[in-house]
Amino acid sequence: MTEPVITARAFFERARAGQLTAVRCGSCGELAIPPRELCPACHARAWQPVPLVGEGTIASFTVIRVAPRSHAADAPYAIAVVKLQEGVSILGRIVDIPLDKVAVGLPVRFRPLGARDQTSIGFGPLG
Amino acid sequence: MRRVAVIGVGVTKFGLHDRTSAELFADAAGDALTDAGIPASAVQALYYGNVVGGETEHQLHTGPQAASVLGIPSVPTTRFETACASSHAAFRHAVMEIGAGVSDVILVGGAERVLNVSTAESTEYFAYASDAVWEQPLGLTFPGVFALIARAHMEKYGTTEAQMAAVAVKNHRHGALNPKAQFQKQITIDQVLRSAYVADPLKLLDCCPFSDGGAAVVLASEEVARRHRKPVWVLASAAASDWMLLGDKRDLARVPATERAAAAAYRQAGLGPTDVDVVELHDCFTIAEIVATEGLGLFEPGAGGRAAETGLTSLGGEVPVNPSGGLKAKGHPIGATGAAQIAEIVTQLRGEAGPRQVDGARTGLTHTLGGNTATVLVSLFGRD
Repeated sequence: MTEPVITARAFFERARAGQLTAVRCGSCGELAIPPRELCPACHARAWQPVPLVGEGTIASFTVIRVAPRSHAADAPYAIAVVKLQEGVSILGRIVDIPLDKVAVGLPVRFRPLGARDQTSIGFGPLG
Repeated sequence: MRRVAVIGVGVTKFGLHDRTSAELFADAAGDALTDAGIPASAVQALYYGNVVGGETEHQLHTGPQAASVLGIPSVPTTRFETACASSHAAFRHAVMEIGAGVSDVILVGGAERVLNVSTAESTEYFAYASDAVWEQPLGLTFPGVFALIARAHMEKYGTTEAQMAAVAVKNHRHGALNPKAQFQKQITIDQVLRSAYVADPLKLLDCCPFSDGGAAVVLASEEVARRHRKPVWVLASAAASDWMLLGDKRDLARVPATERAAAAAYRQAGLGPTDVDVVELHDCFTIAEIVATEGLGLFEPGAGGRAAETGLTSLGGEVPVNPSGGLKAKGHPIGATGAAQIAEIVTQLRGEAGPRQVDGARTGLTHTLGGNTATVLVSLFGRD
């Protein structure tokens, strides 16, 4: 049976409270975000949640100017793949950084974004 | 496995149509059956690609619907959905069914209709091929996915926006030679560089268009194919997948699924990249062509941009890529694309491609990528 610790719901409950969470494999030590059922490295099913510092650097980014219908009011906005301090990466919306200052290598910090009763992953300035 | 050949091809013009996707498929399939010179009664199965029929046409169950509109309602029909690679996935499974001796003649094809909805709507529907929990809520688009890949490629290898523009210029030059292409008009590097940003660093003219269209190919066992005037043999057909999430991809400047599918296809055929004379590959965005030429082993990682800029991939170059105009100029009706690429390679290997013919082409390759690089199909073709 799927352990609640690795459900998307559990992840976003913690995220809403400001805590970015990964899971570490109890068998081989692999770190994963977001969570998944089996460890991609050893296929064990023995995860433990691990709180992350929430800091990282931008690995790649884009500025979306032609948006899907559901996000049209937000455009233009930046989306980035952020490499977190712990070594794993995740996609997030960049907020509170001018679009012309967004750059590869820029340090950023996790912050939860709320829209339409749904929490999503954001990153803002480190300072 | 028994040998399998393509004995008939059909493609509609790509662009705006006032017809349903099933009608577009049926049009192409009728042409493919005529080209094959076999009656519809010989067809034992239909493998069909269609992606956003549910969204743009309020139509699910598109396989049997397409078969009914064509007029062959009683054959077993299956719809494949692997985003933009759907009809190439359908093709691979048909190759395996004939190869295994289950059937002798299978119709493979696909179609899409999207120009009946707005750009904001189709942008949203295409984004359904990214993850609904982790990516769509951020407002990720498909130009956005490839913009992230482009930025990573530029950072790692020094690829430039002008090199990406060279891909668009080349594919429009080829498309101008293809009467079925959506855009049959040449463009300049300057026009590409001055077009508006869609998802930085990708600009409007780095992107393929939204398109309506259909494509079909007739596959046959060797016994049936031997009676055909110019069978084109399927030398290999391979698939690979990769992580859905962009955050899970270790190196955004590469597409591991392309590398794995290509390795498997080359192994099946006993060939390597230097044996390939003509390529139809998935240039949904200019950077996608650059990364694909590297993943297929045509050029070293990081050398794809320079190869495009120096004309190595042009008609008359070292290895012509997308003589049809590619997705960029020919158009990209997503469910039809894989079958249309195969139709172009078959036409090239028969020596029937007219002004866009690659002289003396004996071995061809098709590469189709699905969605966020999580699906790739690669097939190899040869003539007698």
